[in-house]
Amino acid sequence: MRSKLDKHVLKNGMVLLGEPMPGVGSVAFNFLLPCGAATLGPGQCGAAAVIQDWVFRGAGERNSRQLVDALDGLGLHRSTAVSTHHLAMGAAMEASNLAAALELYADVILRPRLEVEQFELSRQLAIHDVIGLDDEPRQKVMIRLYEQFYPDPFGRPGIGKLEDLEKLTPLETADIVKTGFNPAETIFALAGKYDFDAVCRQMEQLFDVPAGARRAEITPGKPGQLYTHVPHAGAQVHIGLMTAAPAITSESYYDINVAVSVLSGGMSSRLFTEVREKRGLCYAVGARYSTLKDMAGISCYAGTTPEKAQETIDVIRGEFGRLWEGITPDELERAKVGLESSLIMQSESSSARASGIASDYFLLGRVRSLEEIKERLEATSVDSVTRCLRENRFDEYTTVTIGPREVVLT
Amino acid sequence: MEFRKTTLDNGLTVIGEVNPAAQSAAIGFFVRTGARDETAEINGVSHFLEHMLFKGSDRLSALEVNEAFDRTGAKFNAFTSEENTVYYAAVLPRFLPEVTELWTELLRPALRQSDFDLEKNVILEEIAMYKDTPHFDVMDKCRALHFGLHPCGASVLGTNESITGLTAEAMRMYFNMRYSPDNIVAACCGNLDFDAICRLIEKRCGGWTATEARRALSYYGGTGQKEREERANLVREHICLMSAGVSMQDERRFAMSLLAAIVGDDTGSRYFWELVDPAIAETAVMQAESMDGVGAMYSFIRCGPRDAQRVYEIVGRIFEDVAANGVTEAELEAARNKVLSALTIKSEQPMGRLVSLGFNWVYGREYRSVADDVAAVRKVTVDDVNALIGEFDLRKFTRYAIGPAGEAAGD
Repeated sequence: MRSKLDKHVLKNGMVLLGEPMPGVGSVAFNFLLPCGAATLGPGQCGAAAVIQDWVFRGAGERNSRQLVDALDGLGLHRSTAVSTHHLAMGAAMEASNLAAALELYADVILRPRLEVEQFELSRQLAIHDVIGLDDEPRQKVMIRLYEQFYPDPFGRPGIGKLEDLEKLTPLETADIVKTGFNPAETIFALAGKYDFDAVCRQMEQLFDVPAGARRAEITPGKPGQLYTHVPHAGAQVHIGLMTAAPAITSESYYDINVAVSVLSGGMSSRLFTEVREKRGLCYAVGARYSTLKDMAGISCYAGTTPEKAQETIDVIRGEFGRLWEGITPDELERAKVGLESSLIMQSESSSARASGIASDYFLLGRVRSLEEIKERLEATSVDSVTRCLRENRFDEYTTVTIGPREVVLT
Repeated sequence: MEFRKTTLDNGLTVIGEVNPAAQSAAIGFFVRTGARDETAEINGVSHFLEHMLFKGSDRLSALEVNEAFDRTGAKFNAFTSEENTVYYAAVLPRFLPEVTELWTELLRPALRQSDFDLEKNVILEEIAMYKDTPHFDVMDKCRALHFGLHPCGASVLGTNESITGLTAEAMRMYFNMRYSPDNIVAACCGNLDFDAICRLIEKRCGGWTATEARRALSYYGGTGQKEREERANLVREHICLMSAGVSMQDERRFAMSLLAAIVGDDTGSRYFWELVDPAIAETAVMQAESMDGVGAMYSFIRCGPRDAQRVYEIVGRIFEDVAANGVTEAELEAARNKVLSALTIKSEQPMGRLVSLGFNWVYGREYRSVADDVAAVRKVTVDDVNALIGEFDLRKFTRYAIGPAGEAAGD
């Protein structure tokens, strides 16, 4: 799996990255536009969620219907997502449709029509999504958790907040598009079957616009409170908890990933074994690592009926708490092979690879090859993982519960 | 890409699509059994049994099973539907024999009483979790209402009552009847040595005795009933519509899936322009589901409770228009492009390919390459789709809705 990276920087600073995948007929691309949830001004939480719908309601020469018909006509599988730093717009397709798809995306990014009557519809949809979260406690608990865990504005929810969405105007939102879609801070990544020279020539032409001003660094504020309970008359208590961990830029990044895999990688992991297999407390329980540039955390979700909620959180906290005591050589081996398999299988999906390349470049300023990741994982040891866990004891947790019963945190 | 097949003397069939260029390999054991093969007393047993396979055999404990899988780095799991229970794993090629051997071991499970009692809690938690997931819950309830007394209306998870009342003995009897080698297909794909996998399966499963598991097939177009359930903790209206569709044995299933995309794909479809684009509903999608001897069209719509009446009127108009005027060439072309690119992208990963490969054999005893499916989709004409609309009337639908109390909705 020797991988190769293509890179080219446009005059205005937009970075183009590509990784060819032998033997595939598809290609996927991903634009990271620098207007994620944390970049928005006060009172604008959710603006990016509105924008991701609004910009597709007509762009360039095409009205809303013509644009969607053109995108659909190419058989594009589109995805948009609002993360902390970016609005990500991506698509996967048969390779022969790439040039036509890029033309349409250039319209969407540089020449969206942003009509006022269409704004209202995008805003309504965004409001309905936020209201609808009340019916999806599993999702809601994790959104609340991230919001409380990260110092503001880094945990702001991409989906938005009702009070902000209700006051949002088309004028200020259009302004975010104008300043936020700055090519100088945009990353474009593609993976699969493509001709990089041709892509560069086309992008040079399509995105021949001046660079905007760079955004000021965001100053972190305070994180939220340590425990929140949201009463909800559902069947389960949905538990989310999160604790700080070394970020991707840290030397301990691979060690902490192995540790999270020991905690929750496969079915023999500690959480699954202790919470589900031995005690039958939950159907769904799992932890994952997530990282920003210099802040990261391990989050955990579990859903359980009210009478088991206390025991569930106690067992989970117990497993987090005893991780620093160390891991076994068997656990290390299983974690390594699990992480390596995920890596290789991810490398077979053009969409997954395009997202991976773009996010690496943003977080690290470079793209790690699959070989590098594999070597670094291979180099971890029982000692290095244990040392990392001892230096980063999990001593504080942010917790959110949604359901008919609160828990007591000791 | 090479297709291979062999059948053991006891009826267990092994099929493979070998692709030496792939970086991974996948294997699945497809057991032709599910909720429709249960009686009301043991409703949910297929799914519970699927969980119990992970609890080990006479030689392996649950923890040993989990460790053995994790040592291979496998992405492994299982799922149970109305009519299939599928155990699968995707791995790096060097681990394929090991996970195959593991599945063959687990397919003759110990079904220990203590494991059964403990796992019952997990099943009850799973039922509770889906209660808090209204889009899942409403589909399940709608299926039961639509199929009425037809076996496909049985809930996959079962109910609190049926699961609480289930005994390990009843599960063992069900297992003996349904996990017969002639009711199992092993499918594998990706970078693998097919002959070696066959030798392994022959050695491990050749001694299993066939019990001739059967399933009676019958077609049913649905009850057409309409119900709404109030739930005080909800804020949105969750709506499911179901109408008759074609079965997996019916070649017209490609036309049916194109019809579903024309009416209810998540972009550019009739639902999209009439419901989502004008912000009347935040979600409105339609899917075709072809099953063993029967089929259905499903719609899922989520909107504000006060907009439900308007949604019903608009959906009614869409169905009337489709019935009166059919679909257009442009709509079909867009749907074709979307379905074809989804097929291409999914098939590039062995795990994505495995499920189609296995199901084509389970239902039709046929091998279909990706190229065969592409050709079948390309061949569909506007007349084919319009003929289907005439025969499977979208207007004759069953409807189930779950929404908040006091916010009346319905015709």
